[in-house]
Amino acid sequence: MSIPTLQGLQTALSGLLADQQAIDVAGHNITNANTEGYSRQVAVLQTNEPMRIAALSPTNGEGGQLGTGVSVATYMRIRNTYLDAQYRTQNTGLGAATTQANELQQAQSAFDEPSSAGLSSQLSAFWSSWGELADAPSSEAAKVSVVSAGKQVADTLHEVNAQLEMVQAQAAQQYTAITGPSGEVQADAKQIAQLNHQIKLSLQAKQQPNDLEDRRDLLLDKLSELGNITVTKEADGTDTVAFGNAAQPLVEGSEVNWPQALTSAAGGKLGALLELASPEGAIGKYRTSLDEVAKTLAGSVNALHTATPFFTGTTAATIAVAVKASEVQTSKGGTEGDNEVALAIAGLRGGGAEQQYAALIAQVGSDVQSAKSDETNAQAVVSAVNGQRQSVSGVSLDEEMTNLITFQRGYQSSARALTSMDEMLDTLINHTGVVGL
Amino acid sequence: MSDRITTNMVIGSTLADINSAQLAMDRSQEELSSGKTIQEPSDNPFGASQVIGLQSSLDGLSTYEKSAQSGVSWLNTASGALANINELSQRVRELVVQAANGINNKADLEDIADEVQQITETVKQDANTQYAGQYVFSGTLTNTAPYGQGEGNDAFQGNEGAIERAVGPGATVNISVGLSSVLGSGQGSGDGKLLDTLRSITQSLREGTPAAIEAVSGADLKSLDTNLEALANVQADAGAATDQLNTGLTRVQDLQTTTTEQLSNVQDANIAQVALEFSNQQSAYDAALRAGASIVQESLLEFLH
Repeated sequence: MSIPTLQGLQTALSGLLADQQAIDVAGHNITNANTEGYSRQVAVLQTNEPMRIAALSPTNGEGGQLGTGVSVATYMRIRNTYLDAQYRTQNTGLGAATTQANELQQAQSAFDEPSSAGLSSQLSAFWSSWGELADAPSSEAAKVSVVSAGKQVADTLHEVNAQLEMVQAQAAQQYTAITGPSGEVQADAKQIAQLNHQIKLSLQAKQQPNDLEDRRDLLLDKLSELGNITVTKEADGTDTVAFGNAAQPLVEGSEVNWPQALTSAAGGKLGALLELASPEGAIGKYRTSLDEVAKTLAGSVNALHTATPFFTGTTAATIAVAVKASEVQTSKGGTEGDNEVALAIAGLRGGGAEQQYAALIAQVGSDVQSAKSDETNAQAVVSAVNGQRQSVSGVSLDEEMTNLITFQRGYQSSARALTSMDEMLDTLINHTGVVGL
Repeated sequence: MSDRITTNMVIGSTLADINSAQLAMDRSQEELSSGKTIQEPSDNPFGASQVIGLQSSLDGLSTYEKSAQSGVSWLNTASGALANINELSQRVRELVVQAANGINNKADLEDIADEVQQITETVKQDANTQYAGQYVFSGTLTNTAPYGQGEGNDAFQGNEGAIERAVGPGATVNISVGLSSVLGSGQGSGDGKLLDTLRSITQSLREGTPAAIEAVSGADLKSLDTNLEALANVQADAGAATDQLNTGLTRVQDLQTTTTEQLSNVQDANIAQVALEFSNQQSAYDAALRAGASIVQESLLEFLH
């Protein structure tokens, strides 16, 4: 059995084509080096089906297989799905920690402590005004300043409470915006469903949809910041996405199930927002504590200011000074020089209301501190996992340059092989058996 | 897994390092410019709650300080008036002794009586001394003058109430001076106190009879001495209250010093330390920038032609 004369040309051609494709892949990698979510691709080279030669050996007649060159079997996406799952889990944690830290930070600044404008300074000024009244119990000016210091305290309580309420309301608004009909969840889920559909079709046509898969993975990464996600790879190439703690999968094939109800156990940014907006959440608890401060303050002052209650209202939102300057009570006896009530109220300094408030500030402070350190830790973990992913999937320009050279040289060598074949054939065709012509 | 390093990883980590170096610098910068180590409660939650307590104590101490100081001024005013009354009473004693020597004629006795009467009114004026618009000898009826002017107005108008000044948590000093126990309520009451005695001396001197002069140099002089003794006691009481206030004041000022120190320990930045840290951070930032500038540029591309 003989070998077809032009087989060598075909073999060299396959090399040219394969190297060209590999160079194309390197070019694709280089151009996408900065594309978010891109995974580097590799042209997987594979030898062609060999040519079977039945009786090759002239001595014992044994056959052989002659290689027929190379071809690209597939363009492979270099990606580690285990790292993806890990990244998404950590990213959910980061989403929650970042939201928590940001919102609590806002709540903390509502208190404006330590500063001369915070409630602690106002309370202190209030006690001082009673001390001054005790020194001049019949002074109208001292009574006016007691009333105005009391109003300052009440106003500050209102303001802090209103700001905390606003932080909560903003958290609720943010949640609604993200989960609403034109929100991120809906939009991302829709795109994932579309990509699922396209990927399924590509796979049916036996085409590896690398870039579509990258885009789908990027969307899943983004979604993981918002809530827990679990991705199940189906046999047809589609991803089934369970999101937050929603009852139905968010994406199933090319179907989107949204909106669905979530709770604060949904994790991620959405879980954190739900937690912060709820009365049982951290900010809700601050407001309860602030109400306690208002209640203790009103209770302790009113218990001494027996003629008429000094404060009305028992919550941070409703507390108000109920007396005019002329109704400020300095004593039980009623003579102008008596000051036992003023002295007793001035003596409330450092008492229950102040201690409760100091404890609240310590609570807010340590919550923000731990939220920030949670955020830093989560950020570090996410960066580490992302680093690992980048290490696997990221484009290294040095590597691609090397690949370019490798395949360029391969291409040149195949071309050289082709030239050799051509020269051989030239000899055979043009110079063989031409003696005497 | 990081055996393979990609270009974006290098850029990403360089950027993260530069960011964190900058963040640390920013933090130190804030501490340096504000001089405070606690900007927000989250910088030091326990410290922040301590600051609230300490700041309030400090404000409280300055209220006590003001109270004690105004108490001392009140008592100084009162003591001045008491010293005047004492001097005037001594003068009356001299006049009584002079009247009793038996060589005075009717006109002389009348002159002496005039002077004693004058002194009586002056004593009442001294008793009506005010501090910051408040009568210091009226008990708690501080807007009411203790005595009216004129002979028929010797009845004490005030009360015996205590005027308290706070000099510490739960610690008060009574600065009310019980002058009425010395002056009494005049002849109408017949209480034998200073005003009663002065009025009866005047009356006896005007009568001018030997029996009346006898009474002046006898019972009235004795009663005058008793009242002078009582006055000295009241003066001593006022002095004791002043001492109490001054002791309180010293304690408050000591506490202010230690509380200020504590507050500073909790909230003030250690400038030397922070400045040192800041310059360290600056070097780190500088190094991160330099490293970034040279590493990020390096690539195989530089060497291929």
